Amino acid sequence: MKILLPVLLFLFVGSTRIDPTIPNFRLKDLNNRTVSYEKVKGENLTVIDFWATWCKPCIISMPKFAEMDEEFKDEDVKFIGISIDGPRNQAKVKPFIKSLGIEYTILRDIDTSVMARLRVSAVPTLLIVNSDNEVLYMHEGYKAGEEVEIREKILELLEK
Amino acid sequence: MRKFFFLALTLFQLFIFSNKVLGQVYGTNTFEFQLGNLPFEDDRYLTTSYDQLNLFYDTDKISFFTKVEQFLTPHKNRNYFELTQKQFQFQDDHLRIRIGNFYETLGYGLLLRSYDIPGSVYENEFDRTRYTFLRDLEGVSVNANGDWFELKALRAEPLNNLIPPTFEPDSVRRPDLVEALQGNFYATDQITVGGALVRVNTPFSGDFQEYGSVMSDIQLPFNIQLFGEYAFSTSSQFLSFTSQNSYALYSGLNFFKDSFGLSFEYKDYSNFLLGSAAFNDPPSLIKEHTYPVLNRSTHVVNTASETGVQLEIFYNFEAGHSIVANYTSATNNVFLRQQFYEYFLEGSYKVNETLTLKSFFDFAKDDPKLEDNRISVGFIVDKSFTKSQNVIVDLQYQTFDRQFEPDKTQNYFASLAFAFNSDLTISTVFEATTDILLTDNPNTFPEIEEDIRTWLGFNSLYKINSSNSLAVFAGKRRGGPACTSGICYEILDFEGVELRLNTRF
Repeated sequence: MKILLPVLLFLFVGSTRIDPTIPNFRLKDLNNRTVSYEKVKGENLTVIDFWATWCKPCIISMPKFAEMDEEFKDEDVKFIGISIDGPRNQAKVKPFIKSLGIEYTILRDIDTSVMARLRVSAVPTLLIVNSDNEVLYMHEGYKAGEEVEIREKILELLEK
Repeated sequence: MRKFFFLALTLFQLFIFSNKVLGQVYGTNTFEFQLGNLPFEDDRYLTTSYDQLNLFYDTDKISFFTKVEQFLTPHKNRNYFELTQKQFQFQDDHLRIRIGNFYETLGYGLLLRSYDIPGSVYENEFDRTRYTFLRDLEGVSVNANGDWFELKALRAEPLNNLIPPTFEPDSVRRPDLVEALQGNFYATDQITVGGALVRVNTPFSGDFQEYGSVMSDIQLPFNIQLFGEYAFSTSSQFLSFTSQNSYALYSGLNFFKDSFGLSFEYKDYSNFLLGSAAFNDPPSLIKEHTYPVLNRSTHVVNTASETGVQLEIFYNFEAGHSIVANYTSATNNVFLRQQFYEYFLEGSYKVNETLTLKSFFDFAKDDPKLEDNRISVGFIVDKSFTKSQNVIVDLQYQTFDRQFEPDKTQNYFASLAFAFNSDLTISTVFEATTDILLTDNPNTFPEIEEDIRTWLGFNSLYKINSSNSLAVFAGKRRGGPACTSGICYEILDFEGVELRLNTRF
């Protein structure tokens, strides 16, 4: 415990930002290759969706995101799905996502360490991030019809 | 470990002041207050508070993380305020070095798996201390990757998360020392091969145990993917699959075409509980359910001796309907042969854009739990009224024969949830059981209560703004096994009021 105070004080010394940006995390893709966020993010906006094969609202929302991915392709908006399935469900992730017709990038956060780092505590959670890696919008949960709100938000952010 | 930590801090400080980099501080905080008690316990209206602070400091390539936890009750021996995790990390495009607490999984988890379940708060059953449920490693880890390879090396102590932070000495929580090396090579775009070596030093043992593994991942034509890992003790005979040897074999295949997907997996585990704290976690090949009656019935894999398969097929219709079918079987052979099998079928029908109907049927036999002819069914209606209002009705029922009981055991679950403007959700949950293991009050032994037992609880979740949310529970909540992200742990019953405030900053 003696080291806690100096560490906390140290952290606040120097220049700091208040609105955090997304760190350049690295995760494996569906072909088991490690890729970095910087390599797969969108030039304009990036929509990051945390999901799992066992998450029912995630499964309902993802085909809607696939439609939006197609719709906003020309606006340099990129969708990224981050699966938090553990080893128990790894075998299902790829065929499952393909059967849903998802073509956007899927990454796998097996130990949920990236999820914790991005301050996400539940699935589904959707983040909209700009090209400077700033999180502009966060949406937790999903129920039918909420894709309209998300689409409007993307349009609003594109106009800025 | 403290030396490592101060070394990391010094390096970090030098980096900061020599480069004048712009850093950022951010984090999350979870505060949970409870007023209530466990059923059948004398400690009535116990007030407890738990707080978890996660603090991050990032610069371009350097980052620093700490987790602080605090638990307060009227019982001083249960209270603590501790820095439970700290980490220094350097990362660029090809190299990552971590010192302190970190997570790592080797291969498919046959040799080593660590994990975090964000937002989870675990209550230890024995001394009722609350803490976050995770299994991390404390030590040093180096990861390197290039166009054709990936390497991992680590020297660390895995956490035994069943021992609370209050336990003294703290070293008991991390009894094993693990040294590991893993290499994966991308032979072609379609083929990845690799291997791992793990050396474990367990307490009270002068010798090391050594384990190795080989793994592969092959993308075949026609959307077929083949993958697997074979792990073994170096003191056992290589590729000898007898019960005297220590090994784990996991392999799988998946396939998709248009809206159809399939996965098939096979497991054969023998004497493969590694270390004194079992820090490995081979794939269980058991369906992960979110339906409460099925989630708490999840079969827990026994790596001492288990073989089995899992087959899952799914079809997603263009109109939004879907079908999932799953078959799972597992056979244990430790002292006696025990069998588990499960047939699961789930259908979802999208009537229109505002109404979805869902149903499931499950039939299982679970010898380790002494459950036979277990039938579970459920029916869920999800209706949206406007784009901001939604109601979900969830009805579930389960029945099974338990070997020592003459009558069938029955479980009932009913839930009604309303959501308003995506900011406010309120719900009520009713559960009932005739399970004698739950209806009986252990304090009145030898009398055995068989009356039906019920739970009724009310939940609300209010998103105050994009940074804060408040969850309130009042009533009775049923405990039991719970599984999240493939990790199963025990949740205790609760009766009272609970308030949880989540903050991001």
